[in-house]
Amino acid sequence: MKEFTLEILTPSKKFFSGPVTSITVPGTKGEFQVLYNHAPIISTLDIGKIKITDTEGKEQIYADGGGVIEVQHNKVLLLVNSIENVSDIDAARAKKSLERAKERLAAKKEQIDFQRAELSLRRAVNRLKLTGSYHNN
Amino acid sequence: MATLRDLRNRIKGIRNTQQITKAMKMVAAAKLRRAQDNVINARPFAAKLRSLVSDLITEEDIALNSLLVERPVKSALVVCLTSDRGLCGAFNTNIIKEANRVIAELESQGVTPKLMCIGKKGHDNFKKEKYTIVSQFTGIFNSLNFSYVTPIMNAITAGFENGDYEKVIVVYNEFKSVIQQRIVSEQLLPVKIEKSEAGADEQFIYEPGEREIVNYLIPRNVESQVWRMLLESNASEFGARMTAMENATSNASDLIRTLRIKYNKERQAAITKEILEVVSGANALRG
Repeated sequence: MKEFTLEILTPSKKFFSGPVTSITVPGTKGEFQVLYNHAPIISTLDIGKIKITDTEGKEQIYADGGGVIEVQHNKVLLLVNSIENVSDIDAARAKKSLERAKERLAAKKEQIDFQRAELSLRRAVNRLKLTGSYHNN
Repeated sequence: MATLRDLRNRIKGIRNTQQITKAMKMVAAAKLRRAQDNVINARPFAAKLRSLVSDLITEEDIALNSLLVERPVKSALVVCLTSDRGLCGAFNTNIIKEANRVIAELESQGVTPKLMCIGKKGHDNFKKEKYTIVSQFTGIFNSLNFSYVTPIMNAITAGFENGDYEKVIVVYNEFKSVIQQRIVSEQLLPVKIEKSEAGADEQFIYEPGEREIVNYLIPRNVESQVWRMLLESNASEFGARMTAMENATSNASDLIRTLRIKYNKERQAAITKEILEVVSGANALRG
């Protein structure tokens, strides 16, 4: 498999930079995969699952907090609000923030609060789903 | 003339002050390390986002987002980024000076300046003056994190979109190195589009659509710029404080040294005088 360069940046640090063979991202219009020689694209990303295959064919799964992807001349730039490896997710913490977000949504105060609570709810659900400990009840 | 006891007390007092300034220097140095890392880590994201925006946006796109639109400037917002605490040398003074310069320039162009103060020191200074302070954010540098950006950003953009002002300029300290800060005044809104020669030839696929992308990227870009400016200012503050406290400590050392010499001279003079008295007394007795 031919490789291309991937750079992942978050507001707080450079998360990853190096060659990969494939990346699957949760685009706003649907999940898509980027391989070598992908057409130039700019897409916004949803909160969801990012799958990266490195040059040795190993797959890594990450949870992201929304962002944007730019593909151009076999250079992929990923700007995300947050990203973490699934194995680093603290399920207990995610569960707590899920509860908190649910509470805040139930309280329904201001518009801004509502938006933020909804986002944090979705992030928490995403994290729990990816760790496999999410049960909708 | 200062007595021996006075001198001793002064030396003691200065030594106490020196201990405090030394401790403050250490604290600033420790905090600087973290603040510096934060700035350096935040820069690539802000830079990439900015270049992505300028690659993407062409003249025709300006109408797509309200934050891009240039209107005739009747009123401008000057965002003044200072620290919450003092004892950091000329850090705040320089910012206030530059802000005043920007304000004067705006006024000479017939533009009404409005102010937003981030950091207590700037607010303390400007509340005494005649300018309108739209809003102020104080006490955020104690525990600086990204959640402070949203309210600041909302306050800035709301006024811009309501037509309270047509231009936003931020005055802040850019972190160059530990001992060097650079005062910058930068236009935040309307978002300036840098012309890039290479960018336009590429035909991108936009998902979900160009409009949505622009509307997503522009606020994110402004947000990340604000965040970067906060971090820059924060790191600069610690740098300035560290330098100021180091100077204070070495000044105290100098002062102690001169006082010590004076004290020793006094003491020697007193001893000589006493010996002289004893000797002359003994001579007088011997007759």
